[in-house]
Amino acid sequence: MQPDFAELKRFLQDCPPFDELDAEQLANVSRQMLGFYLNQHTIDQLFAQHSPALYIVRSGAFDLLAPDGHVIERLEQHDLFGYPSLLSGRAVINKLQLVEDGIVYIVPATVFNQLRQQQQEFERYFIRAHGQRLLEEQGGRAVGRPQSSWQAAADSSLQRTVAEVLQRQPVMLPSHTSIRAAAERMRDERVSSVMIVDHDAVKEPAPYTLVGILTDRDLRNRVVAQGLSSELQVNAVMTQAPAAVYGRQSLMDVLAVMTQHNIHHVPVLDDNEQPLGMITNTDLMRQQRSEPVMLISAMNKAGDLAELVAQATEIPAYMQSFAARVSDTPMVGRLLATLTDAMTKRLIHFYEREHGVAPAAYGWLAFGSQGREDQTLSSDQDNGLLLNDGLNEAQLAWFAGLGEYVCDGLHQCGIPLCPGNIMASNADCRRTLSGWLERFSQWTREPTPKALMYCQIFFDSRLVHGHKRLYQQYRQQVAELGQQDFFLANLARLQVSVQVPLGLFNRFRGTESGKDSDFINIKRYGIALINDIVRTYALQAGISAPQTLQRIELLKGSRLLNRRDGQALQEAWLFLTELRLQHQLQVWGTEQPKNALDPDSLGTLTRRQLKSAFRIIKECQQGIGLKFGRVG
Amino acid sequence: MLRQWWQRRRLLEQSWQQQRYIALDCETSGLDPAQDKLLALAWVELRPPLMDFSTTAYHVFATADTDLKQSPVVHGLVQRDFIAHSDPVTALQQLQAVLEGAVLVCHHVQLDWQFLRRAAERHQVKLQPLALIDTLQLEARRLRNQQHHLPRGSLTLARCRQRYNLPDYAAHHALSDAIACGELFLAQAYRFAGRANVAVREFVTK
Repeated sequence: MQPDFAELKRFLQDCPPFDELDAEQLANVSRQMLGFYLNQHTIDQLFAQHSPALYIVRSGAFDLLAPDGHVIERLEQHDLFGYPSLLSGRAVINKLQLVEDGIVYIVPATVFNQLRQQQQEFERYFIRAHGQRLLEEQGGRAVGRPQSSWQAAADSSLQRTVAEVLQRQPVMLPSHTSIRAAAERMRDERVSSVMIVDHDAVKEPAPYTLVGILTDRDLRNRVVAQGLSSELQVNAVMTQAPAAVYGRQSLMDVLAVMTQHNIHHVPVLDDNEQPLGMITNTDLMRQQRSEPVMLISAMNKAGDLAELVAQATEIPAYMQSFAARVSDTPMVGRLLATLTDAMTKRLIHFYEREHGVAPAAYGWLAFGSQGREDQTLSSDQDNGLLLNDGLNEAQLAWFAGLGEYVCDGLHQCGIPLCPGNIMASNADCRRTLSGWLERFSQWTREPTPKALMYCQIFFDSRLVHGHKRLYQQYRQQVAELGQQDFFLANLARLQVSVQVPLGLFNRFRGTESGKDSDFINIKRYGIALINDIVRTYALQAGISAPQTLQRIELLKGSRLLNRRDGQALQEAWLFLTELRLQHQLQVWGTEQPKNALDPDSLGTLTRRQLKSAFRIIKECQQGIGLKFGRVG
Repeated sequence: MLRQWWQRRRLLEQSWQQQRYIALDCETSGLDPAQDKLLALAWVELRPPLMDFSTTAYHVFATADTDLKQSPVVHGLVQRDFIAHSDPVTALQQLQAVLEGAVLVCHHVQLDWQFLRRAAERHQVKLQPLALIDTLQLEARRLRNQQHHLPRGSLTLARCRQRYNLPDYAAHHALSDAIACGELFLAQAYRFAGRANVAVREFVTK
């Protein structure tokens, strides 16, 4: 009679990738395994007498040590080890150290190799794990999200590159072309816009320089309506130095650019700045099911506040379905930020319609998650106004009214007011360039805990609407203030002092209080910590991009953060963001915490990954402590 | 005869870590070896610190309906589990072979051993383990030595395992109980005699 290894099979099913095996394969593995009682007397025998093999921890806890003695990993129930030697054929060089007696299952090399051949998923898991890429490759499956082919098709549309969807060769004209000739060419080519370029054969192989863009609308508004002669050169009426995108960028990038500049035609360039073609919002809409475009254009068409609010109430339901099928999680945060940007701009437009145009140059700034473009449905407002110097009372009153109106409007559109009052409706957040600089230098000079907390929010900024040059000045001078060693040391010390929620035996340690005390806040102790660590590096490097992933990307070229750590932080950030999104989709509409979750409710693989993510953060905390913490 | 006795004695003087053990569990229809039936039998071989799952055996024996009595509540065996059953003679002969020169380990060994002996006698098989070890008695001995009071239920297999931080298993399936008992023995033996060169004799049930 064949013994039925029910207990062993049940256990193996909780140990990915063994969950990929069918019942018969599981029984087969169980039958060929060995149980090893690991304690202080037997610990040296495991590798000496039973390797190479795959080891699975059934109970107890053990530290895996590198030859130099540092702990690579704390191993406990469900953890696998030994596979690097199996895969590479090299002898085991690491050592085990006992933490708590227990049982380790040994899967002999022959059995392991058989399974690799039989099961592709099984094989893939170990190849990835061996490359330390466990986190990066987790995709949607690990978190248990169903994905049909229909959904896969829908979510890919905004992830496609611009170059993929370009319909035709670029239509280009030199800037001395007459308006009439340009119009004729547009008629013949049946296009609604042309690129205006300078051509210089000497610069071969990159002879073209994009200098402008001319659209149907320009012909109507700037030529016909103004009664200009059609014999003038196009450079008199074109839009100069237009916003452009690169062919390798995604449609999401295009959407962001269109919203940001409120334009419908965007020239596309290759990496040598040579024109590839033109992408229009009609092209975007043609990418079927690209509802975000519709949503944004509906917002842009809203005639008044009530209509805008009506559009905005659709967002949570829409985001639910969008987020559930998009596989590129950061896109969700970006889309929410883009939607918030669109609302903000529309609200500013309404205000100007009512109270006249702005009496002076200004910038509407987004801080925090909107600034970083990692907004969630529960993120609150963080914004401010950058004003020109020397405004009189009446002008200041105009901007006070603007702040009041827009923040209230955003609130009505479902974006919660900021409990810390970091909003343009607060006089403290409406400052001139010198006013803001004074504020920043006060924070950096006297880094009290509160000042440091403000810095974490205010140093992530983005211009949503307004005067670009004014913002660039602000951005640059603020960046200089952020480069001071004394200040960075204090930031680093603050970040190092936050304890990652891994406790004794590498177990999860709850971070919350009250009835949810076992829960872990993955925002505060995960995503935010990574944002903070990366910001510190970015400040020192003088990087002005506010997005965490982009900052890491830019830092990869610098000496501050080595490539491996950068990669690891990126993977951890992506994993945690994905986990938070899944969690928020689950608890949406309930009273459950939005950023804290119960680690026991997660699958084994996700728990393993969550621990890896926290370990990565812990290591990077140490790194930042060493690099910055000693000064001052 | 004398030579065999001498050899067994010599084996029992050996270090316990050099020895081979059979951890075993019986499922029965009741607690009286004279009346109740042996329903199922499972074992696994131990060579400290290893337990080799390829050596596990599991046998369910054919029974009449009436033999099951109330025990399905306990061991979960119902009539359909007996459809694919083992021949008792073959099973006992297999056990006889593996017990040759090995120590039999059970939780509450006297009960299992009496059932086994009766079944063996009935089918004319001779079971001759080197010795018997009782994990329940070992635990009782240890706790008494530490002046522990032993409340009822403190010596069940599951409770004993908890004291050594061994994982929880679904109880009362002959195979998981056999494995559970084997692991408990390893934990106990290493706790008391990990380094010392202790003879098997020290663990044997008197």
